[in-house]
Amino acid sequence: MPKLPLRLRVNGEPYELEVEPHRTLLEVVRDDLHLTGAKEGCGTGDCGACSMIVDGRLVTSCLLLALEANGADVLTIEGLARDGKLHPLQQAFLDHGAVQCGFCIPGMILAAKCLLDLNPHPSEEEIRHAIVGNLCRCTGYVKIVQAIAAAAERPD
Amino acid sequence: MAEYRAVGRPTVRVEGVGKVTGRTTYTADVHLPGMLHVKLLCGPHAHARIRRLDTTRAAALDGVEAVVTAADLPALDPKKVASNRVYSLLAAGEVVFAGQPVAAVVARDPTAAEEALGLIEVEYEELPAVLDPLEALKEDSPLARSPLSDVDRSELRGHATVDVEEKEAEGRATNIASQLRFTRGDVEQGLAEADLVVERTYRTPMVHQGYIEPHATVADYDATSGEMTIYTATQGQFFVRDEIARMFRLPETKVRVVGLELGGGFGGKMFLFQALCAALALLVKKPVKLVLSRSEDLTSATPAPQAVFDLKTGMKRDGTLTALQARAVYDSGAFPGAAMAIGCILLGGYYRCPNLEIEGFEVLTNKVSVGAYRAPAVPSATFAIDSQMDIMARELGLDPLEVRLRNAVQEGDPLPGEMPYPRIGLRECLERVRDSDLWRQRHRLEREAGPRRRGVGVAAGGWLGGLQPAAATVMLNGDGTVGVLVGANDITGTNTSFAQIAAEELCLPVSQVQVITGDTRIAPFAGISAGSKTLYTVGRAVKAAAEDARRQILDTAAQRLEVPVEELECADGVVRARSHPEKSITFGRLAHITTAFGAAYPPVVGRGAIAARKQAPGFSVQAAEVEVDTETGRVRVLRYVTAQDVGFAVNPLSVEGQMEGGTVQGIGMGLYEEMVYDDRGRLLNPSLLDYRLPTAADVPNIESLIVEVPSEDGPYGAKGVGEPPVVPTSAAIANAVHDAIGVRITEIPITPERILRALGKVKD
Repeated sequence: MPKLPLRLRVNGEPYELEVEPHRTLLEVVRDDLHLTGAKEGCGTGDCGACSMIVDGRLVTSCLLLALEANGADVLTIEGLARDGKLHPLQQAFLDHGAVQCGFCIPGMILAAKCLLDLNPHPSEEEIRHAIVGNLCRCTGYVKIVQAIAAAAERPD
Repeated sequence: MAEYRAVGRPTVRVEGVGKVTGRTTYTADVHLPGMLHVKLLCGPHAHARIRRLDTTRAAALDGVEAVVTAADLPALDPKKVASNRVYSLLAAGEVVFAGQPVAAVVARDPTAAEEALGLIEVEYEELPAVLDPLEALKEDSPLARSPLSDVDRSELRGHATVDVEEKEAEGRATNIASQLRFTRGDVEQGLAEADLVVERTYRTPMVHQGYIEPHATVADYDATSGEMTIYTATQGQFFVRDEIARMFRLPETKVRVVGLELGGGFGGKMFLFQALCAALALLVKKPVKLVLSRSEDLTSATPAPQAVFDLKTGMKRDGTLTALQARAVYDSGAFPGAAMAIGCILLGGYYRCPNLEIEGFEVLTNKVSVGAYRAPAVPSATFAIDSQMDIMARELGLDPLEVRLRNAVQEGDPLPGEMPYPRIGLRECLERVRDSDLWRQRHRLEREAGPRRRGVGVAAGGWLGGLQPAAATVMLNGDGTVGVLVGANDITGTNTSFAQIAAEELCLPVSQVQVITGDTRIAPFAGISAGSKTLYTVGRAVKAAAEDARRQILDTAAQRLEVPVEELECADGVVRARSHPEKSITFGRLAHITTAFGAAYPPVVGRGAIAARKQAPGFSVQAAEVEVDTETGRVRVLRYVTAQDVGFAVNPLSVEGQMEGGTVQGIGMGLYEEMVYDDRGRLLNPSLLDYRLPTAADVPNIESLIVEVPSEDGPYGAKGVGEPPVVPTSAAIANAVHDAIGVRITEIPITPERILRALGKVKD
């Protein structure tokens, strides 16, 4: 299959790639850029484990063809910690015991970041609705909701 | 209670940083040089004979390395092939469930593999299929498959230590894989003595573990050295190693299993596709990777069994249970594997009952074979018995929680099978829920708001706990920090608890301890991380190893300081003389004098190895407040309290996490989850859109009440934690729904349709 050029900025780094048109953003980021923090849990956009932030919006990257993201600015979980310091959400997830198996966590943290970027002081209900597309099977969401609320309270 | 410095305190997960930064390696993240990709062709029929299987066109496709069928695979022990799903690597001749792998493509990339699947030609001859377990029990039922001669239960025993041998079916060919019967007293007399006799049938569907990470394995066979390395998402790497070695006649020294971080297991990730991957790697002599798609995982992995319970019970006016008669039928799917015995034991194991008769059947059908899922077979049995207790209490006008307290088992009471309980905390859990705000305020509830009705329900349940030997090593590093090496795959935060245990015994901060799960080539043995036994067994081994290391540290310090060992104590990384604290030596210095060039003392290596023989049953009691919309049939859980006896909460943060997560899985079972099959045995909802896991917006905050009734053998009195919290949830919800709308739903999940039918608002 012919490959087409793809320009992406991922976690601040520019990439020039050639990809087959059927490949998803998730596949390209995981297999070509070797950033494996985003996970495939379903491949159909139902679980949110592959969530990335593309031009400021939360997307399920398993449903986005890589070429559709041409020219986009992509943030994956690997781009969240800066200079060896965890993002307040990452720290809050640890401190509140919100992490168990961890498979949903990269997507969950990015979903939470999108929420806090738009709504810095969400209610519990707003938090629950913001992560409704991110399934977690381990935690029952209790500590995840607490962690997001705590991160929202922290001065950045 | 003793004062502890490290255990009993909320402690952040030791492996957490990698998980929040995306650096943790899960199996699907593994990439080896020259690695090939595997895709499976799964049969579409519930029961069929393979008439023709032609792989020529698929094999000729560019990028395809091999197209493999059963004929290409090594012959395995035929008894096991028939009775153990794992040994049936690819269907040979007969397909016994829709979704059974028939052929495997090994290709350079997943796209080529996928394309090749479409080029494999298969002709099937459909055979009569049986899909319903009650139909399968009938004498004139078609046989789900060729009769079994033997049943292999080695994996099941890793979850539940059961001292009952199931009787395997003999004589005439039937669909019954095993059956058992427990009796005590005289049930007819017990029913005659009762003031109330209730008879009901309860149904629970097949449900999936719903781990977010699908099954994944990378197998790498090096033909020159004869070494097989398997990277895999498993809860039991030693079990995988032992089985692979046995199946392919490899010495265990040549099989290395690297159990990577698991993206959820819940019993479902033990040993399933690893053997097929190993067989493919042996064939192509290159690394191969298999990652199931979500629909393959839902269709072809090992969910929890469907079950049907017929209960007849008697109770006196004062709430005393007089008789329990039950028949439990578990649908094992196309291979044996339903944990029917433990389901039957706990069905009659929560409440004292002088007269009981429990009959259990494990039945084969043409559905996917089942496996373990958090407290295997028990949440369904508990839905039945704890709905039944509620019905009896309400019909007699008694408080349902008080009726449970009146009948609750305690130390010395026998289980079905007559094994007596050790000290347990069922009553304490009931009392904690009785004293909770949710339960105490139930009479003041606003019960009606327009078409919506509210109600509160309670239920109890438990898990007996698994047992398996375990070992651990604790080493003093050159800088005075401590390394702990175990072989248990951490699925629940056990490595964090092990760090706390080592820190406690060695008087160090937890941050000075590193816990490593080694692979099977380097780690000391551990059993499978299942059955709520990892902390209970491996934790004991870690404690013993840390105690051993402390003895060595004190011995060396005694020689160095010239102080009798009895006068020494450990404190914050220092050994000092009690009466002369100035006589002291730091762990760092001790490490140096036990590791440096020409050092006079041997290195500190503590060894812990234990054989666990006593179970420590754990109980959970839960109360739900629900709101039922009588127009739409929708049930919402508004408030929830979950109490659990954990013996001793080594890490309260992890314990709460288990209680909250287990409870929400139980809410899923109670309200949403069901694998739906059509009349030809095809799964109708193989996606996470249609197989509905609870989302954050579906569930309320879960209030956890930790109860601590210490176990005899567990570290600091700890018991298993993982299983109990999922057990009573669906019953608690059904009981709350009854409290809200006055009708009894006897089949889960409690969908809007079932509510509206029960209210007479929907008719056939």
